[in-house]
Amino acid sequence: MAENKKKKRRKGTMASATERMLVGQNINIEEEEELVTPMQQVVRNFVENKVAMTGMFCFLVILLCCIILPFFFPIDRYYQDVTQANVAPGFGLMTPPKALQGNAMDISAGSTYSVGLDRNGNVYEWGTFPNAKLKKLPPASEMGKLVQISAGLDHVLALNEEGTVFTWGNDRMGLESIPMDLRMGDKVTKIYAGYQVSFALTDRGRLYNWGNEYLVDVRIPKEVQGNIADFEANTNIVMVRTTDGRLVPLTQKASAYTQIPEEIQGHVVDFALSDESVAAITDDGQLHVWGNNVKGTMNVPEELEGTPVRVEGGRYHFVALMEDGSLRAWGDSTFQQNHAPSISEKVVDLSAGYYGSYAIGESGKVYSWGLKGYLMGTDAFGRDVFRRLLKGGRMTLTVGAIAVVISTIIGVIVGGVSGYKGGRIDNLMMRFTEIVSSIPFLPFAIILSAIVGNRVTETQRIMMIMVILGLLSWPGIARLVRGSVLAEREQEFVTAAKSLGVKELGIIFRHIIPNVLTVIVVNATLDFATCMLTESSLSFIGFGVAEPNATWGNMLNSAKDSKVIEDFWWRWVFPSISLAICTISINCVGDGLQDAIDPKSKER
Amino acid sequence: MGKGRYLVKRLIYIVFVFFIISILMFCIYKATPGDPVRMMIGDTGNIEPERYQTMYDQYAELLGVNKPLYVQYGVWISNMLRGNFGYSTQYKRQVIYVIGTPMLNTLKLNIFSMLVVFMISVPLGIATAVKKNSVFDKAVQVLTIVGYSIPSFVIALLAIFVFAIKLKWFPVGGVRTAGLEAEGLADALDVGRHMVLPVLVMSVGGLGSITRYVRASMIDALRMDYIKTARAKGLKEKVVIYVHAFRNALIPIVTVTTWWIIGLFGGSVVIESLFSWRGLGSMLLDGLMQRDFSIVLAMQMFYVVLSLAGNVIMDIAYTIVDPRVRLDS
Repeated sequence: MAENKKKKRRKGTMASATERMLVGQNINIEEEEELVTPMQQVVRNFVENKVAMTGMFCFLVILLCCIILPFFFPIDRYYQDVTQANVAPGFGLMTPPKALQGNAMDISAGSTYSVGLDRNGNVYEWGTFPNAKLKKLPPASEMGKLVQISAGLDHVLALNEEGTVFTWGNDRMGLESIPMDLRMGDKVTKIYAGYQVSFALTDRGRLYNWGNEYLVDVRIPKEVQGNIADFEANTNIVMVRTTDGRLVPLTQKASAYTQIPEEIQGHVVDFALSDESVAAITDDGQLHVWGNNVKGTMNVPEELEGTPVRVEGGRYHFVALMEDGSLRAWGDSTFQQNHAPSISEKVVDLSAGYYGSYAIGESGKVYSWGLKGYLMGTDAFGRDVFRRLLKGGRMTLTVGAIAVVISTIIGVIVGGVSGYKGGRIDNLMMRFTEIVSSIPFLPFAIILSAIVGNRVTETQRIMMIMVILGLLSWPGIARLVRGSVLAEREQEFVTAAKSLGVKELGIIFRHIIPNVLTVIVVNATLDFATCMLTESSLSFIGFGVAEPNATWGNMLNSAKDSKVIEDFWWRWVFPSISLAICTISINCVGDGLQDAIDPKSKER
Repeated sequence: MGKGRYLVKRLIYIVFVFFIISILMFCIYKATPGDPVRMMIGDTGNIEPERYQTMYDQYAELLGVNKPLYVQYGVWISNMLRGNFGYSTQYKRQVIYVIGTPMLNTLKLNIFSMLVVFMISVPLGIATAVKKNSVFDKAVQVLTIVGYSIPSFVIALLAIFVFAIKLKWFPVGGVRTAGLEAEGLADALDVGRHMVLPVLVMSVGGLGSITRYVRASMIDALRMDYIKTARAKGLKEKVVIYVHAFRNALIPIVTVTTWWIIGLFGGSVVIESLFSWRGLGSMLLDGLMQRDFSIVLAMQMFYVVLSLAGNVIMDIAYTIVDPRVRLDS
């Protein structure tokens, strides 16, 4: 016992102070002894342990982030957007170069990059480029003075003063072959680069399209061709406005946005397409919206005072320019697309594309809002890594915690009963424990998950992983509890409880287990880290929690490919770091607890 | 009770455990969805139902899936014990001919990892125990926590990125360079180059935990009275540490090491799949994907046997390092 106390004091400054006092005055130590309960001593030891406290801090930060932040940065499990695939971390998507500020003429927002023209016809490109060829512009001498520019998914169209069209970027799927008609004679007035398709409208009202013909179904009726005044396109359809103000969808497939309200036909002055809906302004200054109300694209703000004169659409948002020069935006707010700035000067040009919008003021100043970038980039499906990291962390921590709870409960029951009862029951239970611990853990978990996991839903699958982990990892804790119970059961308080007639289960779980609680807590903490690691390993090789649910393990799944490791570092670095920091800090805490309690000194 | 009888008792018990686990495995596999016979026949195109049925029966007979479960188990386990692991529907060959090379590959990987871990962790653990609470000790302590906390695949990703992609010192994956027709020493060197990264990655986790255990048990041993006696006798410090203390510290180390080795083989599933190392682990995963039960079952039994063999070795090792075990009190 004396050695026991001495050992506790060995740690930290407080302890050494006590020891100094021991040499000096005797009265002081006795006061100290009376004041400090074993529990307080444990807490003090733990707090003095810098490594453990740092671990505790890191873990709490991660835990709080994973619990709280997903409410502020939500992500739909099934959300996917290939146009945003593999974007590097950064917030420069909507920041035009300085040279363009105050001198801008035309700007177009592409998938993850934007292009702009200044008043001298020079081209500027910024953002993350999905394709290296986007940087290979045709020589300026060849293009002359450019007047219009349009950015698509991964290619750019530009138009010069003479009405000639140029294209660069993705040159496959026919994108590079500008129709012959456009190269001779016809003067182009409007260009649009879409999702692997390009469009050009000529001054004679004819619309031309080229590029990937499988994505957008374009059928131009004979009576429309030659009478086209304006056109807009999204990823699914192209719609044109004829010279007499009628809207005509250039498709034969009927959908929600082809149901054009009859009363506006012949009166349309401007219109815009989002992915699922259409907004049109009629000659009486009314705004009409129809289509599918996805992400609030049809929730036009009620206080739309004044009359709109121009409307533009991104993937899930619209922005309208009012007569008084102010801007109104509505629709999806995930990337603040609907937060149009209030601009003091007159807006001369407006453009919206994908998740961003630009407005150019009279002075040539560029105003931008919308998707500025991703903190940690995006994965192959265009999902924000940061948002998935938060969700994944929550999942990983939950699975680990529940697995530990399961294994601890089983372990305490088996260990407690077997340690207290002893004899034949002990022997039987320990043999059983040995059998379970002889089962090779990872291969067995893989097989169980592969076999059971095929016929269950996603939620059931997650629960199954928890149960598998819990059921396979209890032997360690059972052995430990058994050992501690064996040491405790001969103590006087147990004899007292027995003589009072307390039932056996009562003695085990009410009287003995609380005394070995510290051992259980330490072991559960260390097991928590192990369970998290195992879950991550399982998910990593594809036998754990499956897509579309995120965990840190399955976020790393795609990094099995060395191409991903090399080119898209953000896809594996961030989940790896989170996982590593989390498990390291949990282990530090567990270790610190173990040191603080020091069960070894108790055994001796 | 003598040493021999103790071991015999343990062996009998372990055989018993083996059968229990094998029954468990067998039941799980038989509960799997999907029909191995259909898988084996594959796509036959437009074939008459009757002919398909005959074909189906033939294959079912060949695979033995048309008999009652306990007969299937009996047949399977007796075949298993005779080294006949069944027919692989995936490779269309007997499993025994398929698993040779992968098994060798896995063994290579694991044995080298073990060597690396022991050569580093045992001296390191002793050194930190002797210089307990020094700066060196504390630094190593923190590093070992980091070592065993980081999942192996994260270390693997990092290693691939740094050593294979950026520095290009080692290949990204595989067992051999594709298309390289080398023999003898050149071939061994090539395989060795491919093995460096997986071995490195697999060692990190073990280094962390084994070093900690060696340190802990050495500290306990160094506190004992017989160490004071040994020092009082005037023995050299080296002798005291390496002979008197270390020998007594070995008992817990043996336990931990055995569990670690068993875990190592299991854990190499992840590493093998990541480094496309043709070993048992990647074979197990492939087998599961292809529903090739014979392969999966054989792999699983290998892991079980390994784990039980680990137990036996642990028992034997106990009797060697701790003479008290002989008198099973």
